[in-house]
Amino acid sequence: MAKRVIIVDDSRAVVATAELALEGLITSGVIEFQAYLNPAELLEALQNGSENFDLLISDVNMPEMNGLDLSRYIKNDERFKTKPIIILTTESSEALKMKGKEIGVTGWMVKPFAEEKLVKSIKMVLGV
Amino acid sequence: MDTLKILIADSTEENRLVLKSIAKKMQCFDIFEALDGIDALELIAIHQPHIIIIDVMLPRLDGFHTAKLIKLHYPQTIVMAVTSIIDPNMEKNMASIGVAAYVHKPIDKELIHFKLQSFQALLHSRKKEYKQVSVEEALNPFSLDIRHFKTIFTITNSEAMMDFGLWLLTRCEDDMNITCPKIDITVELFYELMRQKLRNKESLYIIVEESFVEIFITLQFETSIELQAKASALQKELDEQCMIKDNAACIRLRLHQKEDLQEEKKIIQTVQSETAPTKVAPSETKDKSETKDKKVLEGKDKELLRQSFVEKTSAIDYISDIGGDVLDEIRDLESLDEEWTQKLHTIEREPSTQSLHDFIDNVLGVYVKAINNLFEFTALGYALLSLGSFLKENAQLIVDEPAKLKTLAMLLEHLGADLTSWREHIFSLQDTADIHYLDSSFFSSCMQIEQIIGNKELATDDDDDGMEFF
Repeated sequence: MAKRVIIVDDSRAVVATAELALEGLITSGVIEFQAYLNPAELLEALQNGSENFDLLISDVNMPEMNGLDLSRYIKNDERFKTKPIIILTTESSEALKMKGKEIGVTGWMVKPFAEEKLVKSIKMVLGV
Repeated sequence: MDTLKILIADSTEENRLVLKSIAKKMQCFDIFEALDGIDALELIAIHQPHIIIIDVMLPRLDGFHTAKLIKLHYPQTIVMAVTSIIDPNMEKNMASIGVAAYVHKPIDKELIHFKLQSFQALLHSRKKEYKQVSVEEALNPFSLDIRHFKTIFTITNSEAMMDFGLWLLTRCEDDMNITCPKIDITVELFYELMRQKLRNKESLYIIVEESFVEIFITLQFETSIELQAKASALQKELDEQCMIKDNAACIRLRLHQKEDLQEEKKIIQTVQSETAPTKVAPSETKDKSETKDKKVLEGKDKELLRQSFVEKTSAIDYISDIGGDVLDEIRDLESLDEEWTQKLHTIEREPSTQSLHDFIDNVLGVYVKAINNLFEFTALGYALLSLGSFLKENAQLIVDEPAKLKTLAMLLEHLGADLTSWREHIFSLQDTADIHYLDSSFFSSCMQIEQIIGNKELATDDDDDGMEFF
């Protein structure tokens, strides 16, 4: 069964580049890909049960909500406590990474990303 | 304030009447009219107007060459082109000689009115300073030599601050032909320092001293400067060009004198022989713009794009700080949305280097110009300029591969949507706590597009190991 991968990023261009990178995994049915441009919408969908995921890829700097705050809310929910979250951001400060680690995110990747490295990491996290 | 003088140079009576009616709404204006370029030059020699509105298609001597002569002999004069010629090369040529604005016909009365208002404010601030600060107070710490020219500004509000930024950029990039790759960082640092102080209701003096080879700018505040993280990073970028001590910040910029004399000779010969108006050879313009594009792609500029803004500025604070000029810029950007999509569709329908260049020059280029005028978002401007430069260099390669072209069009469409959304969050909804939320991400997207389209390896410093697992 295809693993559900959600990306949340306010930038359509980032979403499009990520989708291009994951095209192989999507077309072969290994993953199903869903994008959210607004973190608040994703949070609402997760809370009301209309959305679920096997892996969440989140940006940090978004106009409506910070990706680390979003991750904290999600990790506080029993249903998603063990689900992996990857941060995909231009931020590379150790202080922010430390914050991510405390929240319990699985990994941190700095944009712009190398396509094959993103694919490799996602396969590793999902075990596919 | 003394009477401001404005000259309108347009061969059509109807246009002159409309422009005159707009100028009359401004206070303290004397208005002169010229029917052609030579006429305009003669009137300028007699009356020395402060502002000149000029058409491009003028009999006897065209608007471009007239403007060039005006800027050579009267560099302080503000020239605005108002024309029905929609030619990006002409627009670039006009900007390169120091024309402050290029406005398309049919005449948008409100837009011209806004422009005149901002020019008036600029002239007002220029005049005021001479009366308020004595020459002795203007002393740069780099050299004790007496400077040839001195201009002193008093900044009491954000509009005056924006005017100064505009003045400096115009002066450096157009009037003086200054080679200063760090001019954007300089303006950003000034802007950062000024904003901090203006928020505390402090005013400041700016003293500009010029020799023939250097320009010194001193910002003198009422109280000591406390360097915030962003300003500190910008100062570091400027290195020994910048000194900040107590209540003063001083910058030294080196001037690069170009072939001004030769240029002047060439134009005067044209006037004397009264030959038909000639256009600047397109190859000349192209060469210049390409040289500039390449410079932007150098490592230091890319570092600037990756800067981190520790002090967050909310959209509400930003909008309340900026002046009316910005509204013009935003309006220009809004009108580009449709063009952005249309031109991309044209590229897909009729793939050619020409259609790609058309998009780069007339959409990306216009966006870059408008964003750069906003001062705070030079990083976004650079990102777009870098991308445009890359696309130009690889235009043939892209056009030859339909799949690549399709991917590019798709990614550029998303990039355009990101800019639309950025504009909404900052200027319309004003709902973001950090006006720079998109900057680095946008730059990253531009690099990513270069990577995908150019099959390039990413030359980044911090992601060599890909994912960092916790």
